[in-house]
This record gives sequence, C-alpha cells and structure tokens, in this order.
Amino acid sequence: MKKIFLLSLFFLSQNNFGQELFMVTDPASNIPANTLSVRVMQSVFKEQIETGYNYHAMPEITYGISKNLMVRSTVFLSTRSNSIIAEGASFYAKYRFFSTDDVNSHFRMATFGRYSFNKADIHQDEIEIMGHNTGFETGIIATQLIKKVAISSSISFEKAFDNKPYYAFPTNQGDNATNYTLSIGKLMYPKKYTSFKQTNINLMLEFLGQTINQNGKSYLDVVPSVQFIINSQARIDLGYRQQLYNSMLRSAPNGVYFNLEYNFFNAFK
Amino acid sequence: MKDLKNIYFTIIAILFLSTLNAQISKAEIRATGLTCSMCSNAINKQLKSMPEVASVDTDLNANTFTVTLKKDNTLSPKIFKDKVEKAGFFIGVLIISIDAAAIKSTNFINVNSSTAVGSDAKIQILDKGYVTAKEHKKLLKSFKNIATYEANSEDDFHIKFVK
Repeated sequence: MKKIFLLSLFFLSQNNFGQELFMVTDPASNIPANTLSVRVMQSVFKEQIETGYNYHAMPEITYGISKNLMVRSTVFLSTRSNSIIAEGASFYAKYRFFSTDDVNSHFRMATFGRYSFNKADIHQDEIEIMGHNTGFETGIIATQLIKKVAISSSISFEKAFDNKPYYAFPTNQGDNATNYTLSIGKLMYPKKYTSFKQTNINLMLEFLGQTINQNGKSYLDVVPSVQFIINSQARIDLGYRQQLYNSMLRSAPNGVYFNLEYNFFNAFK
Repeated sequence: MKDLKNIYFTIIAILFLSTLNAQISKAEIRATGLTCSMCSNAINKQLKSMPEVASVDTDLNANTFTVTLKKDNTLSPKIFKDKVEKAGFFIGVLIISIDAAAIKSTNFINVNSSTAVGSDAKIQILDKGYVTAKEHKKLLKSFKNIATYEANSEDDFHIKFVK
C-alpha cells in the first residue's frame, strides 16, 4: 500500500516590508542591503486521503547583498516519521531590476530563481519545490504600493526532478508547471504613527494557482492572513489556506500557517 | 620616493575633499516609496550605522528623517542617497544645512537666483536620485539650458537655497 505522507504547501514565501510582506508570496521589493532576516514558517495541514494532520517547519535565513539582490536559504522539516526530520533544503535569489518610487507609492519588478532538493516520496500531482519536490522555479514579480495598499502578482515556471536517492518522479505525471499568484495587503493599524515601537497590523489576501503544463491539471487556493509587526523589527503571521478549485491529486491542500520572523538591520560591519 | 609622493597626494586629496564636504551639519531626508514603520526603521538603521551621525529624528507619518551630523565630518550628500537606496527606497527631498562658504566650491552649482543669508545655508539638492522621478522630469525641462544638469555627474550637485 502506498503510504501517503505529508505535504507542504508553501509557495515562495517571504518577507519584505509592511503591506507587501505577504505571508506566502514574495513581493518585488527586497530586504534592505546588509540586513539578515531569520524566519520560521510553520504549518499544520489536514490530510485529505488519510486521516490526521501533518506538521511542517521551514527555518530560513535571508540576506540582502545589495539594494537589488537578496539571497535565501531554507531547510524543510516535517513529521513524516513521527519525529521531526529534515527532508531537504532550498536556495533562492531575487533580483530587483525595475523600481519607480513616488511619495507613498512605488512600482517594482523583480526576477527570481530557486533550486530545492528533497528526499521525500512523491505522492501528488501538485509540484511544490518548497518542501516537497526536488526541482527549480524561476519567474517574475510585479508589485505596486499605493499608500496603505499593496498589490503584487507573479508568474513562474516550476520543474520537478527525481527526489533522489529513492524516489523517481512518476513518469505518468507532468513534471513542470506554470504558477501564478495575486496578493493584496492593507495596513489596518495604526492610522497614524507615533513611534517605531507601535505594533502594525496588516491584513492580507493571497490567491495561489498552478497548472501542470503537460495535462492542464490545475488548482487555485485562497489564503487570508493577519500580520503583526512588532517594534518595527519582528513579524508574526497567522493564515489559513483553503482550496477554491482543483482538478489534480493533492494530499493536504487546506490548513493553517504560523510564521515568526526577526530582522537584524546592519547585520555585518 | 614613490611612497612619499603617494602619501603627499593622498594628504592633498583628503584636504581637498574635506574642504568640499566638511561642512554639512544637518540633513533632512524625505524618503519615497514606503508607508510602513518597518520600512522607515530600515532607513533609520542605515543612517544610524554611520559613525558621523549624532542623531536621527524620524517623522513616521511624513517619512522624514532629520539627521544631525557630528562636527568636522567629511560626508558628501551622496552618502544619504546611498543609505536610503540600500534600505530599498529612494530620496524624494534632500535638504542639507551647510556652511555657506563651502557652497562657493566648484561642486555645488546654484541653479536659482536666491542666495544664502548669513553663514549657515540650507540647500536642496536637485539632481537625479535626490528628487522624485516625476520632479526630475520637470526639472530636466526647466534646466535644459544648464548642460551640467542633464550630464548628471556624481561629482557636482545642483542646488537651490531654501528657507
């Protein structure tokens, strides 16, 4: 019998600032140069085929190399065998190639690439190199900030390889996909700033979609979330992911996210 | 002998730079492209990372940073642009308080008929990267007779006096 194991359903995740610090997607803006960001993303998703829940944790470190380039490394942990084990890791780079700013607004574009490896078994049609498949992803992101609202969208190409050493990519499944995201964030509080110590509250709504290129199988998810920015330096995100449409095999599409992040500005002399 | 020559030129260069830049006492920066306090903090921390900075006062609602500098610093206005851009944003307005005598040096080009009153002057830098993109477009038209403005050299600053 084929064991159905966990799953992770993160997309690109990320951090930047304020309303565009979306919980799941990454904006076109980068983190500041010489800033080190440490983050732990956690999720609990409900198994659809088996009973129960699975837990994933993704600790990651992001560093701003220059104003236009940032890099990130992520480790994928999960409870697939009743104890927490590391299943893989990921390397990511994002380059901001266009930026036009005005008072309280900006439009930015960036391109990114990610390579991940993973040793977990492959048990679904969905391709997800954040904690599930070995493979790469590359795409472009456009982000518009207007006063207290940020809107960001991305399109990317994602390709899966064999999960070496034990699991070959199934030959009857499409091994590459097109991903698309749309994220909207709004600063809810404070209405007027008084200090850096004031907690900021952002509300986010994100749509995440994928189509397998070879067979057209698709899904579309929505992720509402609330975010607290504390002391202008730390971040707590709480979100819920719900499948809206699906025509592919997915083992655990619905669940909750809980992320913690801390930023070290001017990390190195 | 060669070493001595190098040292000599280095000293001359330092003295020359000092006379050009030593006199900035304060910088008022309005940053663009942000509305969140974590973004402001990124700029705040970048500015505070400079040893020449005595203090940074932030108006979070206006995204304005008032940077007070220590005496005898040799900073050029360019450092503020670099720091804000390193944080991921841009300068919308940069006004510096400077010794009026320093403005006569060649790297400041007064594009306005106004002049300084007294020994302390407040000037706004009008070059690309020191004003919003929209404002820069307008200024290119207004200053089309000033060849150095369009040339956009990093070594000179086009300025006007402000109150």
